[in-house]
Amino acid sequence: MSEGPEKLIRVKDVAKGYRIGSHEVEVLHGINLEVREREFISIMGQSGSGKTTLMNLIGMLDRPDSGRILFNDVDITGKTQKELVEFRRRTVGFVFQQFHLIPSLTAYENVAMPLVFAGDKDHDAVASALERVGLAHRMDHKPVELSGGEQQRVAIARAIVMKPKILLADEPTGALDAATGLRIISLLKSLSGDMTVVMVTHNRELASYSDRIVHIQDGNIAE
Amino acid sequence: MNLHSIVLKDISRRKTKLIVAVLGVVVAAAALVAVVTTFTAATESLYEESNTFGANIVVKPETRSIPLVAGSTSAGSLFTGENYIEESEIPRIYTIENKANLAVVAPRLYGIAELGNSPVVVMGVDPEEEMKLKAWWNIRGHWMAEEGPEKTEIMVGSDIAGPMGLEEGSLVTLKQGDVYIDARIAGVIESTGGNEDGYVILPLAASQYLFGKEGKVSSLEIRALCNDCPVEEMSRQIMEVFPGLEARPMSQIVQNEMTMIEHAQSSAMAVSVIILLVSALTVASTMLASINEKIKEIGIMRAVGASDTQIVSMLFLEGAIIGALGGILGFFIGTGASFIAAPLTVSVTPSPIWMILPAVSGICILTGMAASLVPARKALGIDPAEVLRSV
Ligand SMILES: Nc1ncnc2c1ncn2[C@@H]1O[C@H](COP(=O)(O)OP(=O)(O)OP(=O)(O)O)[C@@H](O)[C@H]1O
Ligand SMILES: [Mg+2]
Repeated sequence: MSEGPEKLIRVKDVAKGYRIGSHEVEVLHGINLEVREREFISIMGQSGSGKTTLMNLIGMLDRPDSGRILFNDVDITGKTQKELVEFRRRTVGFVFQQFHLIPSLTAYENVAMPLVFAGDKDHDAVASALERVGLAHRMDHKPVELSGGEQQRVAIARAIVMKPKILLADEPTGALDAATGLRIISLLKSLSGDMTVVMVTHNRELASYSDRIVHIQDGNIAE
Repeated sequence: MNLHSIVLKDISRRKTKLIVAVLGVVVAAAALVAVVTTFTAATESLYEESNTFGANIVVKPETRSIPLVAGSTSAGSLFTGENYIEESEIPRIYTIENKANLAVVAPRLYGIAELGNSPVVVMGVDPEEEMKLKAWWNIRGHWMAEEGPEKTEIMVGSDIAGPMGLEEGSLVTLKQGDVYIDARIAGVIESTGGNEDGYVILPLAASQYLFGKEGKVSSLEIRALCNDCPVEEMSRQIMEVFPGLEARPMSQIVQNEMTMIEHAQSSAMAVSVIILLVSALTVASTMLASINEKIKEIGIMRAVGASDTQIVSMLFLEGAIIGALGGILGFFIGTGASFIAAPLTVSVTPSPIWMILPAVSGICILTGMAASLVPARKALGIDPAEVLRSV
């Protein structure tokens, strides 16, 4: 097999469990996964199989119990909380099932938030991110004034405004109807020309638009 | 857009929460401002009073000199208070250098007589002069006249009038030895908290008749009208004119009143500080309640790159804004409250003390920020992974 594009993410023997009361429940048992640059992959699996858990680990919102996660061959599992914040800001964008926009802020302001936290003064990226998702004309609207699909597109604009290397989308179409969901997928597909996209979905048809599908089963990866 | 504008927008969206939190601060700030404004006005009016009426000077026979002058035979009379000022000599006071400053010269004669069967302190006064000194007395009835049309008119203090059931128009008999005076109550002095509450007050001439002290007075109370009265100097001048009399400036009295006001002020301040602490708790609990709503938003912000420091500084900023709003509003409400309360409680009209606005706002901002400590701690414990888990 020829050398493909660089491996951007390497998940090596990652295990993660949760402590419920006195006993530990392991959700992921030694996951191995490699994702190339600008790859669009779908993660599927039953409810409770640990998809969100894996996304949070890749997105550095959580730490594995054992194993390592590398970005461009840099091990991030040893980084301090402070280093992680800075690294996450410029490397990862999140899209959630429930959009998670701040209701008091307009579309523009929601998209600008990552720039504000990163201390970037230049907000030109906001307009281009909104253009990219086709919502430049709605930038002064509050989330309640937007449809579900539009809210999710604003959330995507917010996720890409820092030009991250990875876009993590956890069931991005879960709260949308089929037609709207399809539009979101095609948007993610086009974004994968610029960045790696990791998407969790329950929908086999939507997953088929991605380059690759991986399944999580019994805490392990089954491609 | 920056951190501040995110906080401002967030606050403006939670108006009810904001109002509750701000009200907590307003109550404390208003109490603080009302106390300071009222007591400052009271203190100022006391100074002013002592300035307009000038120094209070009390002139009495110089008791110590009596034994030296009169020898041992008079020593006994010293203790029964047989030392008097001759009424006819009083006009000599108008020969002092600062005579222009003499606003009121009120002669008084003190003694003890029986009213009904109880002994009472009797104070003979020149009604006209006394009225100038005691303009602030509230009289149920009217001021007694120098000489009653038929009967002698007298006034009684509330401690006497109450138990004896005396009121305007009551007829009484004062008795001292073999001397009787049938008198009519012209008025009852409403309680002042001072000595007069226990006095029977009658015209000087009548009291001199009652005690057999025609042409004599016990003391002179003097008030001078000037802005910066040379009290000590005037006392000295008076003593020069009246050898054997002692003229004592009453600045101590003003001092005593000041001490009382200061005492009242410090206890009122203590209450305000307690209110301030309670308000900090109110703000903290309001912010804590709103943080429970905000947990999700804080999780989102952390997921899109907010650091702990940024989250905490946003919470502090929110606390500071609540504090500032509460402090400024509280200043105006407290000032307004003291405009209503001060005339009723300390009989003065206050004026707004703009000087304390920055201090009060500062204290309230600190209070608001202190109140953010608890929610901030809680916010740091928020795990974005958990909060954002799509359900
Ligand atoms: N904070 C936690 N504490 C305890 N258990 C947890 C916690 N988070 C997740 N779990 C458990 O870990 C398992 C995997 O959860 P996860 O959310 O990763 O599943 P998922 O594959 O995303 O499911 P879904 O498709 O329903 O979103 C579940 O059994 C869940 O109950
Ligand atoms: Mg999930």
